[in-house]
Amino acid sequence: MDDISMKVENLCIDYRPLKNLPSIKKVFHELPKDKNKVIHAVKNVSFETKRGEILGIIGKNGSGKSTMLKALAGIFRPDEGNIDLRGNSISLMSIGVGFNEDSTGRKNIILSGMLLGFTEEEMIEKSKDIIEFAEIGDFIDMPVRTYSSGMHSKLAFAITANLDTDIMLVDEVLAVGDERFRQKSLEKMKTLITDKNRTVIMVSHEMNTMAELCDRILWINDGEVKEIGDTQKVIDDYIAFMNL
Amino acid sequence: MKTLRCLINDIKKYRKYIIYSARVALQAEVTNAYLDWFWWILEPVCSMLIYFIIFGYVFKNTEQYYLVFIYSALTMWFFFSRTINASVKLIKASKGIITKVYIPKTVILLSNMLIFLFKMFISSIVVVVLMMPYRVSIDYHLLGLIPVLGVFFIFCYGIGCYLMHIGVFIEDMSYVIDILLQMLFYFTGIFYSVGKSFPAPLGQIFETVNPLAFFIAQMRNALMYKTDISLKGLAVWFGISVVLAINGSCIVYKNENTYVKVI
Repeated sequence: MDDISMKVENLCIDYRPLKNLPSIKKVFHELPKDKNKVIHAVKNVSFETKRGEILGIIGKNGSGKSTMLKALAGIFRPDEGNIDLRGNSISLMSIGVGFNEDSTGRKNIILSGMLLGFTEEEMIEKSKDIIEFAEIGDFIDMPVRTYSSGMHSKLAFAITANLDTDIMLVDEVLAVGDERFRQKSLEKMKTLITDKNRTVIMVSHEMNTMAELCDRILWINDGEVKEIGDTQKVIDDYIAFMNL
Repeated sequence: MKTLRCLINDIKKYRKYIIYSARVALQAEVTNAYLDWFWWILEPVCSMLIYFIIFGYVFKNTEQYYLVFIYSALTMWFFFSRTINASVKLIKASKGIITKVYIPKTVILLSNMLIFLFKMFISSIVVVVLMMPYRVSIDYHLLGLIPVLGVFFIFCYGIGCYLMHIGVFIEDMSYVIDILLQMLFYFTGIFYSVGKSFPAPLGQIFETVNPLAFFIAQMRNALMYKTDISLKGLAVWFGISVVLAINGSCIVYKNENTYVKVI
């Protein structure tokens, strides 16, 4: 039986930063020389994940990890290459998942779920568990803009962790929040991981957590695959590389 | 055709989100404001009173049903200007959502337009109230409002798509829009009749060429003057609006991949 849950082939993602884009003044006077400067954020990355596997992605800041997760989540299309989800549903867990800052946490739970393909009724049903998990008390009925960054991430984690998608992408979420929530989210992650039908791809700089949770590690350096394989070996190589 | 199919599919797929998101935004707006939804009426009413005092009283405008004349035009104008102002900043304002989850950008525009449409309908209640003391009678011509407002909505959506796209790439576009809107406001005949105020045939030409002046004039024909709307003119603007809407959507669909990367 084919237990591949996702296949990524020759993934390339380029982008042009906003500061290089023209203002009206530049349009009429001078076009910046680096107007067409393109940054290759991800270059020819290929990998596969198996159903039930936890793949960790590590790399220094700006190496293309989060960009790649966004492409995997379908937020934008890759410039080259292919992402085959094999019909699986996918969600990205990151700080402030699809929040409308002026609306309450409760309404945002429903909005976030609807954007991920759930119905309003399904989300109302799931809301109770999400609110209970998020532990933000009366703030759930306050506008999200009044939340602290910790509360933001708690709610974001609670939403994604309680939505049943086949593939979960986790971007640095474990690295924020108070100690109690970190422990709780770790426990929740472990529960999610024990579901043999769910694939988890997580990005984190917390090497201890990655070593504890991940089955394999993909190390990205300057947008390219540096190493992929055994968790401890890749982490050791990465730490050695960073300490050079 | 592919764009139209794509747009229709997205509207079908995200229709519940569009409605819920608009509802949530409206609720958030009223919760955060001291006078709640009353502002949606108060804003055009205050503008109407200012124009009524200046142009009706000081400049002695003799237009029939002058309060209704100004207020009904203002409700349409507010819808248009809100759509335009929001569109140009929409992608950057939605950064929190579009960088975390995929959502067609046309859906975000439609959801915003639904908010403004709702506000327009709420403020339209005042039109009915204002018509009573003037004893403005209505007849079957009122049905003409439906196609006029329909084409007006498609037109605003089309322009909104273009501005949403341009707003991502040109930082200071919102300043240009402010100036253009101000110009357009005075050329649209909110507080005067474009057709009557310019010498013939200029008045008629301005009223036909300026879409806002055209839509507002047709709305007044149906609502206040019990006259037929210009079906020929409306057909032309319908054609233009559909082309704008499809082409604008096409540009947004083609470039939405880039939006997320550059903001």
